[in-house]
Amino acid sequence: MDTPKKPNTRGILDWFDPRGRNVGGWGFIINRLSAIGLTVYLYLHLYMLGKLAQGPEAFDAFIETAKQPAIMFGEMLVIIAGLYHGLNGLRIALNSFGIAVPAQRQLLYGVVGITLIGTVVFGVRMLTAH
Amino acid sequence: MQNTLSQPKPGESYLLWLIKIVSGVLILAVLIIHFLVNHLFAPNGLLSHAEVVAYYRNYPIVPIMEGFFLVFVVAHSLIGSRSIILDLRPSPAVLKVLDYLFIAVGLFATAYGIWLLFAVINFGV
Repeated sequence: MDTPKKPNTRGILDWFDPRGRNVGGWGFIINRLSAIGLTVYLYLHLYMLGKLAQGPEAFDAFIETAKQPAIMFGEMLVIIAGLYHGLNGLRIALNSFGIAVPAQRQLLYGVVGITLIGTVVFGVRMLTAH
Repeated sequence: MQNTLSQPKPGESYLLWLIKIVSGVLILAVLIIHFLVNHLFAPNGLLSHAEVVAYYRNYPIVPIMEGFFLVFVVAHSLIGSRSIILDLRPSPAVLKVLDYLFIAVGLFATAYGIWLLFAVINFGV
């Protein structure tokens, strides 16, 4: 049994405190950071898709811009965050309903593994598509 | 790790927690289709304006699916943001204001997204 983590007393700073944090705790931190990143991306994505209403010139020009390396790098971050957050969320959902609770640590390693493999697949696909 | 199981936190109702979990699973399902269609089957990895319009008109299930996707993902992002804020221990008064703000953002984002779906379907008509 790991040492119990002390109560949250310093707000956000506590998220990065490695003391007394077990594997599941790190899983939680990455879940939360990816959540924040994906939320920012979601509203940016909705805003940019507004160009669809402006017509082909505006939207297709935006699609061309999106093929720049910096944007593609950002998209890869979205892929990593999305894969991790989605798969880890599935793990949490299963465990929340009492399924596979004893295997939660192994499942987390699986989540990380599939995220890494998925990232490579998406990266290769993205580089070869353009 | 037994104590890391997800459960409603103080200030979060069981219903909100459940919506967060269920919408999360639904998002994952729709996201897979969203990705296959918009990126894997798209010739250049990204659809052009004309392709998006044609695709929405030819397959009416797609804008319907995207509409549900929008509602799930906006709800999930806002309930999730709220649970992060709860960890920062806001006063009840601050939380009340933030709750109204979350509802306003959710309604606006949903209305905007649905307007956008119709704008794409009816583009140039």
